[in-house]
Amino acid sequence: MQRMVLQRILIGLVTLWVVSVLVFVMTSLLPGDVAAIVLGQSATPETLAAYRAANGLDQPLIFQYFGWLGNMVTGDLGVSKAGGAKISDLISGRLGNTMFLAGLVAIISVPISVGLGLLAAMYPGTWIDRSLTFGTLALISVPDFFIATFAVLVLAVQLGWLPAIANVAPENTFWQMARGIAMPLIVLVIVVAAQMIRMTRAGILNVMNSPYIEMAILKGVKKKRIILRHAFFNTIGPIVNVIALNLAYLVSGVVIVETIFSYPGLAKLMIDGVQTRDLPLVQATAMIFCGTYVILIILADVAAILANPRLRNPK
Amino acid sequence: MTDFDKNLPTINSLSGSDRETIETGLQRGATRREVMSWLIASGATIAVAGSIVTSAQNALAATPKKGGKIKFASDLHGPSDTLDPGLNTSTIDYSRGRAVYNSLCQINDDLSTRPELAEEYSANDNNTEWTFKLRKGVKFHDGSAFTADDVLYTMSRHYGEKSTSKAKSLVADVKEWKKVDSHTVKAIMSSPNADLPVILGTPHFKMIKDGTTEFQEANGTGPYRMTEFKPGVRSLSERWNGYWREGGNVDVIEITAITDTVARLSALFSNDIDLMQALDPKAIRKVENTDGVGVWSVASGAYFGLCALTDVSPGDSPDFVLAMQYIQRRKKIVKSVLKGQGTVGNDHPINVAYGADFCSELPQREHDLDKAKFHLKKSGVTAAQLDVAEVGPGMTDIALLAQREAKKIGLDLKINKVPNDGYWGAVWLKTPFNVVTWNMRPTANVMMNLAFAPDAPWNDTKWKSERLGKLLVESRGVKDAAKRHEMYCEMQRLISVGDDDMRPSGMIIPAHRNYVDAKSDKIEGIGRMPLGSLGGYEWPEFAWRTDV
Amino acid sequence: MTDTSQAAEIENDQETTIYDELPDAPPKKQLKLTWTGKLGVGVVAFWVIMVFIGPYIAPYDQAEILDMDSYLPPGAPIDGGGTHWLGSDKNERDILSRIMWGARMTVGISFVATLLAYLMGVTAGIAAAVKKGWTDMILSRINDAILSLPTIMLGLLIVVALGSSIPILIGTAAVIYASSVYRIARAYGQEIMVMDYVESAQARGETIWWIIFREVLPNAAMPLATDFGLRLVFVVLFISSLSFLGLGIQPPDADWGSMVRSNLEAMQFAEGWGVLAPIWPALAIASFTIAINLIVDDISAKSGGDLAKKMI
Repeated sequence: MQRMVLQRILIGLVTLWVVSVLVFVMTSLLPGDVAAIVLGQSATPETLAAYRAANGLDQPLIFQYFGWLGNMVTGDLGVSKAGGAKISDLISGRLGNTMFLAGLVAIISVPISVGLGLLAAMYPGTWIDRSLTFGTLALISVPDFFIATFAVLVLAVQLGWLPAIANVAPENTFWQMARGIAMPLIVLVIVVAAQMIRMTRAGILNVMNSPYIEMAILKGVKKKRIILRHAFFNTIGPIVNVIALNLAYLVSGVVIVETIFSYPGLAKLMIDGVQTRDLPLVQATAMIFCGTYVILIILADVAAILANPRLRNPK
Repeated sequence: MTDFDKNLPTINSLSGSDRETIETGLQRGATRREVMSWLIASGATIAVAGSIVTSAQNALAATPKKGGKIKFASDLHGPSDTLDPGLNTSTIDYSRGRAVYNSLCQINDDLSTRPELAEEYSANDNNTEWTFKLRKGVKFHDGSAFTADDVLYTMSRHYGEKSTSKAKSLVADVKEWKKVDSHTVKAIMSSPNADLPVILGTPHFKMIKDGTTEFQEANGTGPYRMTEFKPGVRSLSERWNGYWREGGNVDVIEITAITDTVARLSALFSNDIDLMQALDPKAIRKVENTDGVGVWSVASGAYFGLCALTDVSPGDSPDFVLAMQYIQRRKKIVKSVLKGQGTVGNDHPINVAYGADFCSELPQREHDLDKAKFHLKKSGVTAAQLDVAEVGPGMTDIALLAQREAKKIGLDLKINKVPNDGYWGAVWLKTPFNVVTWNMRPTANVMMNLAFAPDAPWNDTKWKSERLGKLLVESRGVKDAAKRHEMYCEMQRLISVGDDDMRPSGMIIPAHRNYVDAKSDKIEGIGRMPLGSLGGYEWPEFAWRTDV
Repeated sequence: MTDTSQAAEIENDQETTIYDELPDAPPKKQLKLTWTGKLGVGVVAFWVIMVFIGPYIAPYDQAEILDMDSYLPPGAPIDGGGTHWLGSDKNERDILSRIMWGARMTVGISFVATLLAYLMGVTAGIAAAVKKGWTDMILSRINDAILSLPTIMLGLLIVVALGSSIPILIGTAAVIYASSVYRIARAYGQEIMVMDYVESAQARGETIWWIIFREVLPNAAMPLATDFGLRLVFVVLFISSLSFLGLGIQPPDADWGSMVRSNLEAMQFAEGWGVLAPIWPALAIASFTIAINLIVDDISAKSGGDLAKKMI
């Protein structure tokens, strides 16, 4: 297994490099460069040239890429081409915010979803299963900006229980922080739990198809025991995979929640970077997202193997 | 402050002498009834008189209190937030700039100027040389003194090949900045310009310390010292005790942005912020009916435009442009899209907010489908594509209205919605038919010079009228009011109607918008200077809390 | 890619009759719908009919600005006859008409994009599983790269670079979601490739395409079907999240996601029941996507569910 993990880490590094090339190519295809965006309506050919010269944007693109790659390998993320701030400064606080929120959401949503998913799978076709199915599908199919805005209007504006924006400034007290983060937390738990419940249920029902479960039933093993011992352990692999993908989403994909609650996280930063064509910033965030994804997937695979020893020696 | 109609004039809309009469009258104990009767005697309606007196009373009753914190939310921010005045782009930058820096001259609500860091300023007889006497004893936040060298350095950043300044064209007619002594500088002009002080009052010309090249921190002379600056997150500024005048009322100003419009207003309703920029006009009624918050709407010359480039099809046909102008439902746009917070446009950039320079004699172009049909037929155009980005609140709605009217005259107007980012670089001035919004500029001359002069880099429709260029330069030196008005009228006519030698420009300007923002009732001291949001970004120095 | 798969289909057609009789052909399963499944079929059928006839029976054109007021409540009369049965939207247009028109965009785009995503994802995934080696390595790394970046950001990059038109939106959604399909298809492909019956087919000297179409695909179909329902929901949401960034469907065309987005503000400041403006399109999305998933549930969980039911 150590060999497997090592191999996967190497593959992960290749993936990181592919992402950096992909991001570079795609960003340079976008209309306008960072100089044109920063100077905006007031740009003239003269000031554009001056801005490019001052920020090293007048070099050929490929030079800029390898320059970035070289610095990146030595741990230097460079400076933002849009505002001049150090990328590491822009990222540091937000990285903490993002991880904090993603971690909290995971701690709350994973047990709830796996539990409810199991419950639905144990009683398929009953009212428990039907209402869970309807409920989760309804929540999955509503756009997250709708849920988030609705939550703000009810919990902050109408009831005044929670602040409308997620205030996580360092000078805040713990209680202020907790209140500030409550709303994005609720919305994200709803969004990710719905999907995980569904996948857990589907995964277990899928395993129930297998001949060995049939064998167990024929042998007269009790239903609860079958689901909790046999089916569940064989489903851990796929479920952990879904959890990993959802965690990756919580780190990189929660742009809308960050925007609506003004929560300073990484996802919004990356979108800002794309919209200002700030290549070093986009690259840095892409590396974080890709790295997180790679690590989570490796962890998921390791968990799957540990849960199901048969996978250790694949045919 | 919400007990009067935003559309009625206030004390600030009166001329200096009238204003003084009323203010001193009230100060000496004249009753409300007495002052109103003066006003009605001089021709005002009861509503107008009432509004003026209320605003004057409010202004007098308001003695700023010290202390507390103000949290302001703008509509846009990101990694490109900057403390470099020359690169300032958005309300958030301008507001931060106003908190930490000062200008040489300060712009009043009526667009005249008053001294700020320049104690005195004057021009020679023909406006070719301006002298600025600098205030003594002014200190930067790092403790160093403000001198002529700082002015020269600040201004030098707006000239030359290496300059990235967004406002360099505004001061391009200053040939040389000269240091006379440690506290006097002269601006030598290449052509006469009476408007230099008001130009220097705009945000890009905030004074910075000689030699500053890094802008991750701000070293200014302003009322607040920046203690935290996180681009795209927030900034914190604390009142600075070494400020050279009485100013800066609250202890801390927090400036952030909430990009989602619904979320921004929700934050105001739930008291998480005290001031917000860019209130959706559709939400005005709701804000007015909500306790504790109010609308802050300031009439301005800012406008929406559709730009048909005059050197390519379809804009090369003046008839196409006329057809597009006649299908504009200007009153409907002001009523429905702007909810009354604006004025109709007349296809040139100047409106009543520019005061005497506005040509009210020019007939207003009305919605007329017959004329539109006639001109469209003459142009031979049957289909066109309009590239639209939501560059101002309501731009897409205006385009949708145009599309619907175009259908009625047999024009297939396709709307191509393009993203906001990259719009200015990739679409504006480039594709045949696109949209633009302009903020109000300090003078009609500056506005027309930026967007219509034949050599202007931002000539929206590539319309090159040498006559307009000549008038723009000549009118800057004219002192006779009647003559000046006549010249400005001719310029507006050239742009909107054209003359015998030259077609009109390709601009369709259906409406001018007010700056519509919102604030908590606990905040007072917001001005009405019309060059930008919340009274031309002037609030950081003057706003105060009533509940401290 | 298209050439070979077409060739394969032809080959497949010719051989169907012969191999149907072989003992190792996959067993055919009889599909019986539960009441929820039937409900799902009914709702999906309704919306599919709307795709074709919606614009013809809608009271107004989707772009018609009715000169009344924004966010009128449901049932508000229109000057000159007619009623806003579901109220009016931000731009004074009829919401009911726009939902009927919008079926074409939302149902059409999500269906086509998801199908395309499956076509690409399954083809590439199975190809990687069958060919192994470099093909697998290259396809998988590109796929990992796409999967590791947030979808909204990929969407932003592609749509801003290429412009926002319907074919580009479909292509973008298809490429993004093909990467998830690829992972599943490849995993099942690998699993099935080492099964005894495939090995025996290989031993018989069957071509690789025969193996894919007769062995690999039918066995991977069930798990892929479960995924299909969710994937379709994600495509609908993806298009609507692009509208959050100001991209997405071109105005004045209606699609349900951007209708929710652009009328969201009504919940904050519309008066009376005008606040429901974003709820109607949200209900349309929910009804369609839930219905699809109810059908999928019946198809995929059939056997597993039956087994579990037996034990209650």
